[in-house]
Amino acid sequence: MPLLEIKKAKLKLDNKDILKGLSLSVSSGEVHAIMGPNGSGKSTLSYMLAGRDGYELESGEVFLQGQALSDMEADERARSGLFLAFQYPVELPGVGGMSFLREAVNSRRKFLGEGELDHLAFVKEARKVASKMFVKDDMLKRAVNVGFSGGEKKRFEILQMAMLKPKVSILDETDSGLDVDALKIVSDGVNAQRNDENAIVVITHYQRLLDYIVPDFVHILSDGRIIKSGGPELALEVEKNGYAGLINAA
Amino acid sequence: MLHNVKDNYIISVKDHVSQFEEKSFRKLASNDFKSWPSPREETWRLSRLGVLSRKEIIPITPNFKKQISSVSKFDGSKIIRFVDGALREDLSSKLPPGSSLNVLGEDDSLRCFHKFKDSNLKDHPSTNVSFSCTPSIVKLTIEKDVKIRDLFEIIYEGGDDYTSVHPVLYIELKENSSITLIEQFNHLSSLIMPLQLVELKKNASMNSLKIFNDNQQSYNLSANCIFLSDKSNYNSFSLIKGGLFTRSETHAYLKGENCNLNLNGVYLSSKNQHHDLTTAIYHDVPNCTSKQIVRGVLGGKSTGVFQGKVRVAPDAQKTDGQQMSRAILLSEYATANAKPELEIYADDVICAHGATVGEIDDEQLFYLKSRGVSEKKAKQILVTAFLRDIINESVEKFIQNLVFEEAELALLEIISKDI
Repeated sequence: MPLLEIKKAKLKLDNKDILKGLSLSVSSGEVHAIMGPNGSGKSTLSYMLAGRDGYELESGEVFLQGQALSDMEADERARSGLFLAFQYPVELPGVGGMSFLREAVNSRRKFLGEGELDHLAFVKEARKVASKMFVKDDMLKRAVNVGFSGGEKKRFEILQMAMLKPKVSILDETDSGLDVDALKIVSDGVNAQRNDENAIVVITHYQRLLDYIVPDFVHILSDGRIIKSGGPELALEVEKNGYAGLINAA
Repeated sequence: MLHNVKDNYIISVKDHVSQFEEKSFRKLASNDFKSWPSPREETWRLSRLGVLSRKEIIPITPNFKKQISSVSKFDGSKIIRFVDGALREDLSSKLPPGSSLNVLGEDDSLRCFHKFKDSNLKDHPSTNVSFSCTPSIVKLTIEKDVKIRDLFEIIYEGGDDYTSVHPVLYIELKENSSITLIEQFNHLSSLIMPLQLVELKKNASMNSLKIFNDNQQSYNLSANCIFLSDKSNYNSFSLIKGGLFTRSETHAYLKGENCNLNLNGVYLSSKNQHHDLTTAIYHDVPNCTSKQIVRGVLGGKSTGVFQGKVRVAPDAQKTDGQQMSRAILLSEYATANAKPELEIYADDVICAHGATVGEIDDEQLFYLKSRGVSEKKAKQILVTAFLRDIINESVEKFIQNLVFEEAELALLEIISKDI
């Protein structure tokens, strides 16, 4: 059984068709990259998967480990093992980083029947993971994403991913706004979490990120559909020829 | 019909002062109480008192043997208690050197009355009624150069149905003195009309925290008049959570240069509560700063009002006046009104104001939910953060948790109903 299965997903926003029958199957241990030009539906796809209000499917279905997502709220999906790394992480003034992480991790642990971590054990674990992501202690004390640089925000997203140990992670344009050094840190953080039990879907404009997070499969999203799938070489083709050639051929 | 009933309270007030001489401050005050403010008056348009005209209320006769029920909020504080609007020295702490509490005689009371009447609170119903009906005017004095290290806690309680309660407190901080004061209002009364006159002399500094927590049938019409001299500092935070109707109105007069004023506040409203923070800040001289941050969280069918007026006189150059109000509505039946008013007659000033009313931010809510946090918990986290922010900014560190816990109790009450 695939970890994530999208079947003929159709979705409208403001009465406009955005996803037009998108299908994708992701199995454990795999990294998939979804590439596409502006307006192809990439961010809509990530919001739809995460369960944002207003992004409900018109038809089709999505399964996470065989369980239909359509009846699940965003928080249930997350507890069940779905993670979305935001393109634009949201600032939460007044919400401390550490308490935010603990709330999130304990929600997930409770779901897994693992019992909540006590404060001390949690702080120790968080600091350990944070240091690997080059996230300073100071950042965990500050309000979530408030006053963070672009790179810090993305590092904090991947730190959350590492703490939550999701089954399926969707990385929505995680490379946007990152310089080369930050890109490497973030990619190393993601790669460290690749294993046979989970799967990662990387959504991106550019091939650049895929030099660091090397995918098993690449899919080209255009006009709400996957028009072509292949191996990493497909990303190189996009880099060389742009999307236009592929879209015209499809 | 309504008019006759309305007159009843006016008659009770007149009855209450009938034994006093014509020239006494009580008589003078009662002569000026002619009616409740009309909703046509701009500052009472959003907070209407019509319902008071339909209630049978009489000014309370204090019971000096009444059992008290409110406890101190802070270990080791110096406590001053008012029961039924009367000072209870027998229940109050011995005050530290350099501070004193006195009941004013007729002449001093008259002077205090005139100071209020010289302000724009002269027509406030509490001004006239409470000067008429207060058991006595109490003055707290902090002597020159005295920095009070103890926390002072004033606890107001008492009252019962169909009575009105009238504590009047005059606080004077002499040159270079300072104090931190917590006041809690815990009445059972139907109508509470506290008055407070604060005079800060040169270089004096006062931190004030007011917690309005009267019972849910009561009306509290608090009126505060603050006068600031050179280089003085008044920093206040009001937490309004109790009462059926609570309005805290504060007028501050910046009379000396280089003074600094903060009038921050939070209202937390549920069920059919009506909460109102009304302020007027008068910058009469140059080089002063004033700042107001007001936040509200509303559930049920509650209503919140923030009215803030800042007046900058033609001579008050280099004034810095900031005002910001934000309200979060947790129920579709709740209402928040914000009415900032700037009257600026000087040209070299920095003045800004902003007001927002809305629901919990969608993006923030989704972000938390996408991390596995339930909607209810996420809303709780966001609203709590909304309050934590302003509390930390407004009150001294050692009482931040106290204030936060007080706020959280009311918040949970709102959240349990509306989230």
